[in-house]
Amino acid sequence: MNSSIIIRNRLLALLPFAILSLAVFVSAQTPQATPPPPTAPRTVQFPRPVEKTLSNGLRVVVVQRSEMPLVSAQLLIKSGGEVDPADLSGVADMTAALLTRGTKTRTATQIAEQIEALGGSIGSSAGWDSSGATVGVTSSRINAAVEILADVIRNPVFKDEEIERLRRQYLNNLKVSLGQPGAIARFAAARVVYRDAPYGHPLSGTPESLPRIKRDDIARIHGMFYRPDNAILVIGGDMTPENGFALAQKYFGDWAKPATELPKMPVGNPVSDTKNRRILVIDMPDAGQAAVLAARSGINRGSPDYFRGIVSNAVLSGYSGRLNWEIRVKRGLSYGAGSSLDTRRWAGSFSASAQTKNESGAEVASLTLGEISKLATGDLPDKELTTRKASLNGGFARGLETTSGLVAQVSSLAVYGVSFDQLNQFVGNVQAVKAEDVKDFAAKHLNIDSTSVIVVGDAKKFLPALQKEFSQIEVIPVGELDLNSASLRRAVSKN
Amino acid sequence: MRRGLLLFLMAGVVVVASLSIGIETRAQTKMPRMNFRERTLKNGMRVLSVVDKSSPTVAINVWYHVGSKDDPDHRSGFAHLFEHIMFKSTKNMQAEMMDRLTEDVGGNNNAFTEDDVTVYYEVIPSNYLETLLWAEAERLSGLNVDDENFKSERDVVKEEYRQSVLAPPYGKFFYILQQKSFSSHPYQRPTIGSIEDLDAATLENVRKFHATYYRPDNATLIVVGDFDPKQLDDWVDKYFGPIEKPNLLLPRVQTKEAERTGEKRFTEYGANVPLPGVGLTYLIPSEKSEDAPALTMLDVILSQGRSSRLYQSLIYQQQVAQSANANADLKEDAGLFELTAIVAAGKKPEDAEAALRAEIKKLQDEPVPAAELEKAKNQIITSQLRQRETNLGKSQSLGGATVLLGDPNRVNTELERLQAVTAADVQRVAKKYFTDQNRYVFFYLPESLRPASGSARVQAKGVYAK
Repeated sequence: MNSSIIIRNRLLALLPFAILSLAVFVSAQTPQATPPPPTAPRTVQFPRPVEKTLSNGLRVVVVQRSEMPLVSAQLLIKSGGEVDPADLSGVADMTAALLTRGTKTRTATQIAEQIEALGGSIGSSAGWDSSGATVGVTSSRINAAVEILADVIRNPVFKDEEIERLRRQYLNNLKVSLGQPGAIARFAAARVVYRDAPYGHPLSGTPESLPRIKRDDIARIHGMFYRPDNAILVIGGDMTPENGFALAQKYFGDWAKPATELPKMPVGNPVSDTKNRRILVIDMPDAGQAAVLAARSGINRGSPDYFRGIVSNAVLSGYSGRLNWEIRVKRGLSYGAGSSLDTRRWAGSFSASAQTKNESGAEVASLTLGEISKLATGDLPDKELTTRKASLNGGFARGLETTSGLVAQVSSLAVYGVSFDQLNQFVGNVQAVKAEDVKDFAAKHLNIDSTSVIVVGDAKKFLPALQKEFSQIEVIPVGELDLNSASLRRAVSKN
Repeated sequence: MRRGLLLFLMAGVVVVASLSIGIETRAQTKMPRMNFRERTLKNGMRVLSVVDKSSPTVAINVWYHVGSKDDPDHRSGFAHLFEHIMFKSTKNMQAEMMDRLTEDVGGNNNAFTEDDVTVYYEVIPSNYLETLLWAEAERLSGLNVDDENFKSERDVVKEEYRQSVLAPPYGKFFYILQQKSFSSHPYQRPTIGSIEDLDAATLENVRKFHATYYRPDNATLIVVGDFDPKQLDDWVDKYFGPIEKPNLLLPRVQTKEAERTGEKRFTEYGANVPLPGVGLTYLIPSEKSEDAPALTMLDVILSQGRSSRLYQSLIYQQQVAQSANANADLKEDAGLFELTAIVAAGKKPEDAEAALRAEIKKLQDEPVPAAELEKAKNQIITSQLRQRETNLGKSQSLGGATVLLGDPNRVNTELERLQAVTAADVQRVAKKYFTDQNRYVFFYLPESLRPASGSARVQAKGVYAK
C-alpha cells in the first residue's frame, strides 16, 4: 500500500528505459539560454530468442540476458477467456487461477510456500488469447521453480473446496471493481464493441456467471486446451538456450499430446458501424468522478495495418499525445487521458479514456471524439510524427529492460505467431510509417460516427450537456447494469 | 510492498543459505556492489554517479529534501502541487519543455512527492545527458510560471485528488487512515492535500516555496548509466556550479509525534463502499532506527505472497477478507505500521479486526520459525535484484540511501542489515510496538450503516481535509 507517494503521472509511472533519438531541437537564442544539443547516439540490439519444438509439440523459446541473476519462465496456453461458453463467463480465468491452488502432490499452500521459500513468485491467470502460469526466481533456483511450474500446469486437481474459495474471492473482487466508474466503463465498452461475441464478457466473470461454473466446466477447459501442442514455454533472463531446452525436456518432455484434434477456436470479429453505435450513460449517483470512454472495433494482431495502427495510437496517446495534451495539459480536465489499440487474435478494439469531475463529463467526451476525428481530417506535421514515433520506440525499449518485460514481449510475439525478428525490426517498422499512413489508418479504422461513447458517473451533472452533443442517449442506472448481454440492461423481472 | 523496501535494500555479495524444502543444493546469489562516485559542489549540492554501459541510456534523479510534511500552513498538498509546477516554464524553458527533451527523443520523465522528499527523474538516450543536466539546473535556478499555467496545473492536481481519493471505493479510507493516525506531526496531512487548500494556493506561494527549499544545498543529483565520469564532472560544474547557495535558513520540521497513550477507535462512512474496510495502525520509529530492519521483516512475513501470514489466515483459511495487507511505512520521523483488510461479503469488520489482532499476537507469543524467516530474506533479495535491473531502479536506491538514510553507503550495506535480523529481533519488535496503547483502529463502512442519530451526511467533496 503506497498511499503516501504521489507521482506526476500514473500512466507513465516508473517505466524502465531506452534509446532512439531522432528529434530535432527547435529554438536558438543566446548560447546560455538554449539546451546543449545531443552528442552522437549509440545504437542498441535486443536479445534474440532461440527456439525448438519438443516431440510432443511443445514450443520452447529461450531468450538469454545475463546481466542480473534472474530468470522468468512462463508456460502459455494459446487459449484464454475467448473460449468461455456464453453462459460461463470467467471459466477460463478460474481454470488458470486454480492451477496454483492444488496439484496431485501439493496443496495450494505448499505451492505458495515452496516457490516463495526460493525467494520467487508464481502466478497464474487467463488473458485474452492465452492462459498460463509464470514463475520468477534468482537463476540458481530455476530448476526447482520450473519443476513447480510443470506440476501446476500438468497436474492440477481442481478441488471443490478451492473452487468455492476462489469463486467467493472473484465475487468479492467484482464487488470492488463495480464500485469504480473506470472499471464499469471498461466492462461496458467490451459489450458495446464485441456485443455477445467472444471478448465481450468480463474476463473474470460476472456476478451471475460465477455461481454457475461447476468443477466439470473447469476440468473440461483444462482437458481441451492444456496440451503440449497448444502451449509455449518461454524462459528468459540468466539462462543459456542449452540449459533452457534441457529444463524443458526434463519437466515437459513426457507431457503426452492427446490423440484428439485440438478444438477449433471461436472466431468473431464484430465491426463497429454507424448503425450499432451507442451513446451510453451509466448513472452512478455516488461516483466521485465520471469515467469517459470512446470505444470501437479495431484491428487484429495479424493485420498488415499493425504498425500504422500503433503509430496512429501513439499520436493520440502518451503524456504528450494529443488526448492528454488537449484534456490535461491545456485544460486541466483530467489527471490523464490516453488511448489504446488492443490487437487480439481474432479481433481488436480501439479505446480512448479519461476520468474527470462529473461536471466535465460531456466536455471530455467531445474533446476525445474531436481528437480522434482530427487524425483522419487534420494535419500531422512531420515534427510531431517524429517525436511520437520516438516516444513509441523508447517505450518499447524500456519495456524490454527487465527480465519480466522481456519475457512478456517475447511471449506475446509467440502467442500471436509473430516472428521474433520483430523485436529488432520494431524500431525500423515504426520509422517507416508516414503521415499519410496515419491519415489512411484513421479514415479506415477510427471513424467517429461509428465510435461509441460510454460515460459512467453522476449523470445529472453531465447528461444535459451530453444531450446537446448527442441524440439517442441510453441511460442505465448502475443498479440495472447487466454485464451478461450486449443490451447491458437487466431484463424486467417476470415474477 | 512499499517503495522504501525496494529502495533501501541493496547489497554487496550476499550468500543465500540453503532452502528449507531441499529441492536445490546450496545456492549463491551474488549482488554486485554499487560502485558509486560521490562529490559535493561548493554550493552544497551532492552528486552521486554510477557508470553502467549495458544500455545506451542514462537515468538522472534530482532529490530535493522537502516533502508534504513541509507544506505551508493551510496549504496541504502544496509540496505535491509544486512538483507539478516544476514542469512549467523557467527563464529559458517553456512550459512542458522537459517533455520535449525526454519523451520526444525516446526518453521519459516523471516525479513523485512523499512525506519527506520530492524526486524528479528522467531516463534518456545517453547522448542527451548534457541537455538534461542543463534542464535540471535551469529549474533548480528558478521558475517563471504564469497564472494561466499555474491554474491549469492546479486543476490537474484537483482531478488527481478526485481520481485517487473520491473515485476509488477505498480512496477516502486510506486518506483518513493517514490523517487520523498522527496527532501533531505534519505527516497527518495527506500528500495529495485537499481541494480547498489547493484552491487557496497562489503563485506567491510557489515563488516562496522555491526560494526556501529548491536550493543546491538541499538537492542531490544522481546519474546512473552510460557516461564518462570526467565528462559528467565537467558538465555538472558548468551547469550546477554557478547556482548560488542562498543565505537563508533552511527550515526543518521540529514537531515530534507524541507517543500514543491508549487505543483509539474511529468509524468513518463513505457513499460508495462495496465492502467494509478495517485498519490498524501502530506508531513506529524513524527509518534510521535500529528497529527498522526487523519492522521491514515483519511487513514481509505478514504480507508478501500467498504463503504470507495475512493471506493464509484472513484470505485463505478464515476467508474473512477480500484482501489484506501489512505495511511498515517507515519515514524520516515517526512512521506507521499499518494492517488493513477489506472485509469479505457476509463477514463482519469485527471478525477481520480479530483476525488481524490474532496474527499480531502470534508474532508476539512465538518466534518466527527459521524457515519462514529464511523465506522472507530470500524474497527481499529477489526484489532487490529486480529493483537493480534498470538504471532508474539503481538511481532511486542510491537516492533513498543518501537522502533518507543519510549515507550513500547504505545502498551497499542495507541488505546485510536485513539478513542479520533474527527471530528474536522480530519477536522483540512485535512486542515493543504492537501494544494496546499504541493501537488505533479504523472501520470504514457504507453510509447506509450510519446510525440514524448521527449528524448530517458527509459531503461528497473536500470535507476530510480539515
